Amino acid sequence: MSPIGSSGRVAQAGRPDGALAGEAAVDGRGPASKSPRVRNGRRAERLAPYVLVAPAVLIIVVLRLWPLGLGVNFSFTGDGERNGATVGFDNYAELIDDPLFRTALRNVGWLVLLLPVAVAIPGLLATFIYLRVPGHQIFRSVYFFPAVLSPVIIGAIFNLLLAFDGPLNAVLGGSGLGPVDWLGDPDVAMFTVVGVHIWATSGMALVVFLAGFSTLDPALLDAARVDGASLARMIWHVIIPGLSRTIQFVVVTTMIGMLTSMFGLLYVMTSGGPEGSTYLPEYYIWVQQGQMSSPALASAASTVLFLVMLVVGLLQVGLLRRAGRED
Amino acid sequence: MKQRTLWSAILVAGLVALAGCGSASDPDSAPGGSKGKLVVWDWKSGDATASSYVKKAKADFAQQHPGVTVEFVAQPFEQYYTLLGAAIQAGKGPDVMLFNGGGQIRDRADSLLPLDEYVRDDKKRLAGWEAFTKDNKTYAAPVTLQGHPIYYNKSLYRKAGLDPEQPATSWDEFVADCRTITKATGARCFAQGNKEGIGIQFFLSGLGSGVLSPKEYDDWIAGRRDWSSPAVERIFALWKEADDEGLNNDGANSTAMFNDAFAVFQSNKAAHVIGLMSDVGHWKDFAEFLDADDVGVMKAPVVTAGATPRLPYDGGIGYAVAKWTKDPEVAADLVRSLTSPDALKSFHADAGAIAADRTVDVSSAGPAVATIVSEIDRGKPALHVALSSKTVDLMGRLSQQLLSGSVTVDSAVEQLAASDRAG
Repeated sequence: MSPIGSSGRVAQAGRPDGALAGEAAVDGRGPASKSPRVRNGRRAERLAPYVLVAPAVLIIVVLRLWPLGLGVNFSFTGDGERNGATVGFDNYAELIDDPLFRTALRNVGWLVLLLPVAVAIPGLLATFIYLRVPGHQIFRSVYFFPAVLSPVIIGAIFNLLLAFDGPLNAVLGGSGLGPVDWLGDPDVAMFTVVGVHIWATSGMALVVFLAGFSTLDPALLDAARVDGASLARMIWHVIIPGLSRTIQFVVVTTMIGMLTSMFGLLYVMTSGGPEGSTYLPEYYIWVQQGQMSSPALASAASTVLFLVMLVVGLLQVGLLRRAGRED
Repeated sequence: MKQRTLWSAILVAGLVALAGCGSASDPDSAPGGSKGKLVVWDWKSGDATASSYVKKAKADFAQQHPGVTVEFVAQPFEQYYTLLGAAIQAGKGPDVMLFNGGGQIRDRADSLLPLDEYVRDDKKRLAGWEAFTKDNKTYAAPVTLQGHPIYYNKSLYRKAGLDPEQPATSWDEFVADCRTITKATGARCFAQGNKEGIGIQFFLSGLGSGVLSPKEYDDWIAGRRDWSSPAVERIFALWKEADDEGLNNDGANSTAMFNDAFAVFQSNKAAHVIGLMSDVGHWKDFAEFLDADDVGVMKAPVVTAGATPRLPYDGGIGYAVAKWTKDPEVAADLVRSLTSPDALKSFHADAGAIAADRTVDVSSAGPAVATIVSEIDRGKPALHVALSSKTVDLMGRLSQQLLSGSVTVDSAVEQLAASDRAG
C-alpha cells in the first residue's frame, strides 16, 4: 500500500462523523452511485498521484540514480588489462595510497575552511553599498561585472596579471617587495585560485545580500545610529541578526559553487600544479579518466566525491531547515 | 533530517551491494561506422592548414574504394583523449583515429588493430614507427615526426660576439657562452616553461643524449632503465642546477611551455629553447618573429665524456585502426592514404610539420629544417616518450618540486624508478 493511500485512511479515521455523513449522503442518492463509472473514477483518483509524480521520479531514477549505480558498480572493476574483472576495493586502496588524491581531499578541506572569507567579502561590500558610501551605485555594477564572465576568460586574464613577469609582480617589485610566484609556488597557488574564484563569484552573492538588505527595517539602523553605535557594533548587533537567513542561503550556495565549479579556473590557471598542489577531486577524476586511461579508478574517485558531497549536502539541508524553523 | 539520513544510508548501502556485479562497459562490444562508411577521429582535420592534406588523402582513398564514404570528426585536442577514452569505454569509438606516439597509444593498444601486414610497403618510406609499436606490433602509421631539437637565436650570439655557426659542443662551453650572452644582451640561457610539468620532458629528451652513454641510451629506450645510474641522476641534477644558476627565465614553474616559454625565446629574452619539430613551438613559429636565418639548431652539448649527441625524435602523430572496425582492410587502406606521399607533402608545406615521409622535399623551409632533417637518419627515440603516461605525469610534478627545492634529486629519481617499475 502507498503512503498516500494510508494517509487518506488516517484522515478518514480522524473524522468519523464526516465519513459517516458522506456515506449517508451516498446512500441517499441510491444504488446507481455504485456504478462502474464511479469505481473507475475512484481508481483514477487513487492512481492520479502516481501518474503525476512518475515523470519526475523516472527522470531521477533513469538519469541520476541508475548512472550513479553504474558508476559505483564500475568502480569495483579493474582498468587496463583487468578491464571488466571484479577487483573489490582495489581502486579505493589505490586512491588512499595516492598522495595526489589525498592532496585533492585536503584542498576540499581548505575550501570549507575558506568559506567564511568567501561569504564575508560580499557581505561587507554589500554593507558598504547599503550604507551608501560615496559612489555606491558604481560599485554595485562593478562588483557584479565578473559574474557574467566565464571561468576560462577569468582564468586567462589572471594568468596574465599574476604571471611571474606580469603587472602585479612589477608593482610589487617597484614598491620594494619581492615578486611572489602566485601560480608557481605550491604554498600560494591554491589560495591564489580560491581568491580569483571569490573575486569572480562574489558579485552574485553581493546581489543576494543587497536583496536581503531590502528586507531590513531601516528604523533599527536609525535607532542604532541615534544611540551612537559604531559601524562594527551596527554590523554585529543589527545587520548580522537581521540578515541571518540571507547569510545562511549565501553560505550554502557559495559552498556548492566552490565544490563544483572550480574546475574551469583550475584547468586554465594551474592545471592542478605546481607539484599537484591545486588538485581538486573533480580535476583528479578528469585526469585519471582522460589522460591516464583509468576510468574505473576515476569512478572510485567519483564515488568518494559523491559521498563527501552527500555529507556536506545533508549538513547544509539541516542548516537550512533549522533556519526555516527559527523563522 | 533523520529520515533523509536514513534514505541516504539505504541508497549508499544499495549501491555498495550492487557493486562488483560486472563491468559497466562491454569489453567486446563492436561499434564504429557501418559497412561502406568509415568514421575518423582526430584533432587536425578541422584546421585550415590541414584541409589540403585531408582533401588529398580522401581523393587517394576514393580512388581505391569509390563506394566507401569517410567522415572526419575533428575533436578539440585538450579533450581528445578524454572523449576517445569515454567513447571506447562506451563501445562507440571510431574506425580510424589519430594518436600521439608513445604512452597514449600504448595504453590503448588493446583496442587497436595491429597494422603490420597492411603497412609493410610503407615501412621504408616512413620514419618514426617505434613510437606506435608495442610488443613488436605496429598500431599506427606515422604522419609527422616529433622531436626536441635545441633551437638557438643566432642574432643574440652575434650581439655577444660569439660565432653563431659554431655553437658550444660541451656543457661547460655552453654555460660559458650563456654567461657571455647574458652579460652582453641581458637574455637568459634557456626559455623554460614548467607550469604544466612539460619542461622536464623537453629537458630530459633534448639534453639526454649528451649525458647518457650510447649503451645506456639504447637500454633506456628498450625498457631496461637503470635509474640508479649516475648519468640518469646527473640529468635531474642538471635540471635543478640550470634553474639555481639562473640559466632559466624567472618563474619557470609558473611559465607555461605552451606558449609563454616559446614567447620568451621569440622575443629575444632567452638564447636557447628546447622546442618541437612539428605543430607548434618549432622553426615555423619562431621564424615568424625572428628572422628564419637567425633560428639555429644545435646538438646537445656533451655533459659526460663518451656520450654521443643525437637528435631525439619519434613518430609524432599517426593514424590507428580500431579492433572492432567492420572491414579492417579498407580501414588500413585509409590509413595508407592518410600517409601517402602527396598528402604528407601538403601537410609539411601547410601545417609546418616535419612529415614522416623522408622523400618530402624540405629545401624551401629554411636552414633550421635542413639541419633537423639531416640529423634524422642518425637520430634516436626521445627518452621521455619511452616512459608510461603515469611516470611522465609524476615526473612533471617532481620536476616542479626539484625547482622549488621541496624534494632532493635522489628522492625524485627513486620515486620515478618505483613508478617506472610499476609500469
